[in-house]
Amino acid sequence: MEPHYFFPPARAYPLNRFLFALKSDDAVRARYLGDPEATMREAGLDGEAIAALRDLDRDRLVACGAHPYLIFMAGLRLRMSREPTSFERF
Amino acid sequence: MPLVYAAALPHTPQLLVRPETEDRDLVLRVHAAYATVKGEIAAARPDVICLIAGDHIEGFFLNAVPALAVFVGSEISGTFDHYRFTFPVHEPLGRAIVEQGIDRGFDLAYSQDLPLDYAFSVPLHFAMPDPPRPIVPLYVNVYLPPQPTPRRCYAWGQTLRAILDARPERVALIASGGLSHYPGTDRYASPDFEWDRQLLARLEKGRGSETAVLTGDELDKAGNVELRTWITLLGAVGDAKARVVCYEPSWHHGNAVVTWPV
Repeated sequence: MEPHYFFPPARAYPLNRFLFALKSDDAVRARYLGDPEATMREAGLDGEAIAALRDLDRDRLVACGAHPYLIFMAGLRLRMSREPTSFERF
Repeated sequence: MPLVYAAALPHTPQLLVRPETEDRDLVLRVHAAYATVKGEIAAARPDVICLIAGDHIEGFFLNAVPALAVFVGSEISGTFDHYRFTFPVHEPLGRAIVEQGIDRGFDLAYSQDLPLDYAFSVPLHFAMPDPPRPIVPLYVNVYLPPQPTPRRCYAWGQTLRAILDARPERVALIASGGLSHYPGTDRYASPDFEWDRQLLARLEKGRGSETAVLTGDELDKAGNVELRTWITLLGAVGDAKARVVCYEPSWHHGNAVVTWPV
């Protein structure tokens, strides 16, 4: 059985690079929130990766070779940017 | 100088940013455990805090994936949400660890230019004594396979202890990570708390060296890839009997705060 955290396939590098930027680069994340389609196209992602990212579909992204942790933290940072009031509740 | 303090702390970012998904009372109990450790670190009067943590693909991406690394700059900064962290780095000790580690057969990577990962900043946010001490960030690869084996992590911890013992500084050694959690996977909401409890029971009996024979597969299955940072620390403290300050299983994470006599 494949481990939860598997070796990142080289074909998935553009997708992992993009997820890395979404989680760690405020400018890329802001641009993505403003115009996701253009930002994904400019990152050189293929149609399947773009479709999976659109819904942040974890299983589909993993099938594309995305690192699960990058999916997790990119999703969390996007949520924090979209809904900043949902944090620091106590 | 022998170590003056040893502990393992969690770094779950939810402990810092406190989203509504979390159990308030549980988070506050973990904060209280951090505060206990903060007081104990202060009482141990360290000159420097060596913090062993795994990078969350923040400082190291796929351009380079070191198994073991040391930050040897003069200071290190990072962010998480609106939090901004900067810590001075104890450059002489960091450099000595790299030079002597390599001399003793550990081919360590080093960096003077990394963003600080929250695996370092969250525990320091809660447990850094006042006034703050300089740190040495020690990296163990936990998320990008192939990761270093538990046996190698344990051996590195043993060598690290030998290096630190021969230094003049009083050192607090902290491991950051764990316990069971599976971020980004379909098991995120079902950590292996039973595995954690069995591990903690072994550590309380002073059987830390048994972690050296775990396999990478076992750690991955148990949601404990980050245990490599603890295993490194266990190499440094040997079979000392652990004291579990708290074990707080949340819906996604086994939060453990543990100390060892040194």
